[in-house]
Amino acid sequence: MKVSLNLVKKYIDLDGLTPEVIADRLTFAGVEVESISHLASGSKLVVGEVLTCENMPDSDHLHLTTVNAGPKYGVLHIVCGAPNVRKGLKVIVAVDGCVLPGGTIKSGSIRGHVSEGMLCSLLELGVDAKYLNEEQTKGIEELKVGNPGDENVLELLGLDDVILDLKLLANRSDLYSVKNVAKELETLFDRKAHFDTYEEVKGDKNEIEVNSLTPNCPQFSLMVVKGIKVKESPDWMKEALRSSGIRSINNIVDIGNYVMLLTGQPLHMYDLDKLPKKELIVRDDLEGDFVALDEKTYKLQKGDITITSDSKVMCLGGVMGSLECAIDENTKNVAVEAANFNFASIRRTSTRLALVSDSSQRFVKGINPNQYNEVMSLTLALLKDLCEAKENSSVNTYLKEEYKPLTLSSSCTYINKRLGTSFDHSLIKETLEKAFIKVTELDNDKFTALIPDNRIDINSEADLSEEVIRILGFDKIVSTLPEIKLSVGGLDPNVNNKRIVRSYLRGIGLDEQLTYTLVDEKEAQDLSFFKVEEPYKVMNPLTDEREYVRTNVLPSLMNALIYNINHGNNNVSFFEVSDIFSEGGVKHIRLGVVLYGNKLRRGKLVSEPYSFYDLKGIVEGLLNLYSIDNKRVLIERSTNKDLHPGKSALVKVDNKPLAVFGELHPFALERYSLKEPAYVLEMDLDVLFSIKTGQKKMSELSKFPPVNHDLALVVKKGITSEEIIKEIYKVNRELIKNVEVFDVYEGSHMKEGYYSLALSLTYSSFEKTLVAEEVSSLEESIIKALESKFGIELRK
Amino acid sequence: MELLDKITELKTKILEEINNAKSSQELKNVTDTFLSKKSAFNGLMSNIKDLVGDAKIAFGQAMNKARNELNEALKAKQESLREEEIAKKLASESIDITLPASNEQMGGINPFHLITDEIIDIFVSMGYEVKEGPDVETDYFNFERMNIPSNHPAREMQDSFYITNTTLLRTHTSPAQAHVMDEKKGQPVKIICPGKCYRRDDDDVTHSHQFGQVEGLVVDKNISLANLKATLELFLRRMFGEKREVRFRGSYFPFTEPSVEVDISCMNCHGKGCPTCKGTGYIEILGAGMVHPHVLEMSGYDPKEYSGFAFGVGIERVAMLRYGIDDIRRIYQGDTRFLKQFNRK
Repeated sequence: MKVSLNLVKKYIDLDGLTPEVIADRLTFAGVEVESISHLASGSKLVVGEVLTCENMPDSDHLHLTTVNAGPKYGVLHIVCGAPNVRKGLKVIVAVDGCVLPGGTIKSGSIRGHVSEGMLCSLLELGVDAKYLNEEQTKGIEELKVGNPGDENVLELLGLDDVILDLKLLANRSDLYSVKNVAKELETLFDRKAHFDTYEEVKGDKNEIEVNSLTPNCPQFSLMVVKGIKVKESPDWMKEALRSSGIRSINNIVDIGNYVMLLTGQPLHMYDLDKLPKKELIVRDDLEGDFVALDEKTYKLQKGDITITSDSKVMCLGGVMGSLECAIDENTKNVAVEAANFNFASIRRTSTRLALVSDSSQRFVKGINPNQYNEVMSLTLALLKDLCEAKENSSVNTYLKEEYKPLTLSSSCTYINKRLGTSFDHSLIKETLEKAFIKVTELDNDKFTALIPDNRIDINSEADLSEEVIRILGFDKIVSTLPEIKLSVGGLDPNVNNKRIVRSYLRGIGLDEQLTYTLVDEKEAQDLSFFKVEEPYKVMNPLTDEREYVRTNVLPSLMNALIYNINHGNNNVSFFEVSDIFSEGGVKHIRLGVVLYGNKLRRGKLVSEPYSFYDLKGIVEGLLNLYSIDNKRVLIERSTNKDLHPGKSALVKVDNKPLAVFGELHPFALERYSLKEPAYVLEMDLDVLFSIKTGQKKMSELSKFPPVNHDLALVVKKGITSEEIIKEIYKVNRELIKNVEVFDVYEGSHMKEGYYSLALSLTYSSFEKTLVAEEVSSLEESIIKALESKFGIELRK
Repeated sequence: MELLDKITELKTKILEEINNAKSSQELKNVTDTFLSKKSAFNGLMSNIKDLVGDAKIAFGQAMNKARNELNEALKAKQESLREEEIAKKLASESIDITLPASNEQMGGINPFHLITDEIIDIFVSMGYEVKEGPDVETDYFNFERMNIPSNHPAREMQDSFYITNTTLLRTHTSPAQAHVMDEKKGQPVKIICPGKCYRRDDDDVTHSHQFGQVEGLVVDKNISLANLKATLELFLRRMFGEKREVRFRGSYFPFTEPSVEVDISCMNCHGKGCPTCKGTGYIEILGAGMVHPHVLEMSGYDPKEYSGFAFGVGIERVAMLRYGIDDIRRIYQGDTRFLKQFNRK
C-alpha cells in the first residue's frame, strides 16, 4: 500500500515528524514500512521564463537560451536540447549545484557555449513516466503556475510528496485506507486526526431493486446518481492518485479509486441506462461465459459471486465489472455499489481466473463491514463536486443480518501475565483507548472492550495484549527466563542415531551432502535398491525437474557427482542421510554413499582407485559401530540390474536387507554419462537403528602369549575366503582366536582354475602357553578339514 | 728402564693408530693387530718372567696401566665412531617433511547441518526435547491446526506444493508443534523441531523452493512474552556472540498473538550501520510470538490455564549470515570444494 504523506496530512498534523521517524514507529508497531520514496526531488530548483531562444549553429537540436530566473539568480545562459523550448515559456530551472535523482548540475560549457544550469522535464525530477503524457516525456515541463524566481517548484507542482510503501500483513487489512492510516498515526503519535463529515444520502426511492441470494454477500448497497458529466479530474485529484500509485482516467473512475483509497471500501459503478432490468441481484449459482471490462471472456463456475440483472451477469462481484454495463464517456446516469463479499469466495474466483485488482485484494483481506453509508455520503459529495451530478436516490441496502460490533471481556491481569509485564491497570486501559477500543471498567482489573468496526483483526483477548504492547513498545518487555519444572530433554532416538551415523561417516573422511527432495520423474525411482512405495507426485510443480518426491537419495547424489565432475572435482566421496517419504505416508531413513575416482591417501602422491571394498568397509564400520555380531550378518551377491553383477553385494542382518552396494553397471553409468566406474551404496537405516543388541560385557584377555602361524593354500576358484575361514574356526573354537587373509594371488604360477590364499592364524589358550606339538596338531587338523571339505592343499 | 720405555713407546703408537681409525672395521684391525693375544703389546708380557722384585712389580703395573688406557681409548673411539656412523646413516635417510601427509581429515559438512546441529545442541543444553515431523503433511496439520483455515488470506503468504487437495509438502516446521502437543496430551511441552520445508518459490540467490527451519515451542502455565525474549537472547547470544542486542518488532503470524520479528544487532558493525545490515544496525533473524489461544485449544490445552511461546529460525539464513555465503543455492549444489570448507569449528 503506497501512502501519500500529503494525503495523510489532510487528516492529521505531522509537523515536526520526519518520514523516517514515522516509518520507524510504524515498523516497530507491526506495520512494516518497506520504503520511503520521494515523488520527485531536486534541490535548487527555480521557476524561470525563457527570454530568448536561438538555434545553436552547428547543431541540429540544441538551443541557446537566456532565462530570467528571478532576482536571486538573474538572467542565466542555458543550452537546452528540448524540442519544445521557446521564447516566453515558463520553465523549471536547475541552477548550478542542483542535485537531481540523476546527478548534480554544474555550470560549464557545451560546444564552446556557456551553460549555467538546465531546463528540466518532470522525468529528470524523478517522476515515473507512467504518470506523464507524451509531450511531458519528450520535452521540458511547460509551467502554468508560479513566477520567475519561485523556489518552491515541487510544491507548486504537487510533487513535494513523500510516499511510504507499507508492507501490510494479512491482519492489518484496515490500513488499505488512508483514513485508517491517519488513525493509526493518531494512536502511535498522540496527535488528533480530524475527518470531514458528509451529509447522509437522502433522495427519492431507489428505482433499482437489490437482493442477495447467497450468504457470501452479506451486505449490498446501491445508490442511483443522475446527470453526471464524464471529464478530466481536477489537479488535486490527479495528484492524490499519482502519489498513491494510481493513474488518473477520468472523474468518475477516479472517484471510485479515490473513495477506495480513503476508506478501504471498493466501489463499483454501473451505467444505469445499460442495465437490462431495474434490478441487481447477487447470486453465486451461475456458469458460462462472462465478458469483462478488459474485453476478455472468462468462464464462470458455480460459487463465483455475480451481480446480475435479468439473469445476465453485470459484474463479477468484487473482481471485475462487465463490458455490457461499463461506464464510458457518454455515461449520464450511474448506479453506485458498495458491498461486502466473503473473502474466501473472492479469493477462489480471483485466484482461479488470475484476476487480481486493488478491489479484489481488499475483499480477500477483509473490509470494514459497517461503513457503507458513510462511503455513499462521501461518494455522492464527490460526484456532485466533480461530475456535476444533478439528482440522486436514497441508498438501497440488502443486509443479511444487523451488524453488531464486537465486545470482548478481559482483564489487566491477563494482559500483564501474557506479556510478562507489570503495567499499571490505568496505563493498559488508556493504551487500548488510544487504539479506539472503548474500554468499560467492570472493576479495577476486569473490563469489556468494544472493538472499532475497522479492526476486524481483533477478536480475542490475546489480540488486546498485542495492541497494548505494540503501542507501548516491545522494548518495554524485560527479559525473564521461564520457570519450568525440570524435565529430561535430548534427542529423539532417530535424530540421535542419524547423528551417530553422520559423524562416523564424516570421521572416515566422507563429505556430507544436502540435496533437494523434489526430483524429476526419472530420478524418482531410479537406483532404488530397496522395494519402495510409489513416489508422491506434486500437483502444481514449478518445473518438470521438481515434480516428484524422491524415494531414494542416490539419484540426487549422482547429480551432485556430475556437478562436481563438471567443476573439476574428479575424486569425490560423499554421503547423505535423509528421511524419505512415499505414497501412503510411509517414511524411511536412508543413507546414500557415492565414491568416484581415486582415494587420495597422500594426495596424488599415493592414491588408489575406489573399489567395492571401500563400500564394504563402510558397511562393516557401521555394523561394528552398532556392535552387531558377525554371526548375524550375511553377505551375498546382489542381483540388482543397476549394479555390476560381479562387484556388488547385498548385506543382511538377521535376514533383513540392510545395505546394497557395488560398482554401477555400465548401462547405469551411461545413463549418468559417466566414463569411470562409480561406487554407490544405499542403506536402510531403519533396519540398522532397529537392531537389538545385548548389553555389552568386557571379554577376558589371555595371560599367555599367542602363537602366530601362516598358511598358504591352493584354492579352487569359486570357493570364497569367508567359507574357508569359517571352516577353520570350526576346527577348534577355543584355541583359534583369529584368522586373517594376508595375500591373494592369481597368476601364471598357479594351475588353471586355482588361486593362492595366504592366511595368518593366531592361536591362544586361557590356561597355558601352547607348545609346539599342540600347534602342529592344530595345523594338521585344519589342513585335513580343508582338504576333505574343499579339496584344498598346502601351497608348496 | 728400557722396558718401561718400550711400553710407553708401543702404547703411544697404538693410541695413534686408534685415533686414526676411520671406521669400525679399521678400529677392529687395530685391535686385531695390536691387542690380540699374539700382538706386540701382549708380547711384551713375556718379559715379566725375566724380572724380579720391584722391577717385576713396576713392569706389571705399567703394563696394566697402559692396557687400561688403551682399552678406554678404544671404547671411546668405538662410541664416537658408532655415533658418527649412525648420524651418517640417519642423514642419508632424511625425507622431505613438506610432502603430502596421509589423509586423516574429517569429511566436509554441509553448513546447513553444521548450523542445525549447533542449534540443537544449544537447546538440548537447556533441557529441550528434539522431535521431527514429516515433510509430507496434511493440510489439516500444516494450516488448520496453525490457525490458517482454508482461504485464509495468510495462505497467500505460503504458496505450497500440493500432492493431493489435502496433502502437501509442509511450508513450515510449525505443524510438528501440533503433532507433539497431540502426543503430550495436555502435559507441558519444551521442544525444538528441525526439518526441511518447501514453498513454491523460484530458486535464486536468496530464495529456495526447499529450505530448513528449526521450530521451538514451550507450553506450560505462566509462559509469557518476557520468557520468550529471555530464551531467544540466550540462544542468539550463544549463536552469534555475547555482545548481541536482541530486539522485537511487531509482526503477524496466524498461529501466534502477539507476533514479533526478532532482530539482532549486526555482528559486522555492532549496531553502527553497514552494508550487511543495510545501514540499520540490526539484522532480522527469526519470527516468534505467543502461541495463539486457538492453536492451544485445538491441541487440547485450555488457553485459560496454559500459555506458550513459539519461534522459527531459518537455517540457511543463519548459515549465510554466519559464513558469508552469497548464494543459497550453494548449499544444495553439493560442490565438495564448498563442503570441505566446513569440516572444522
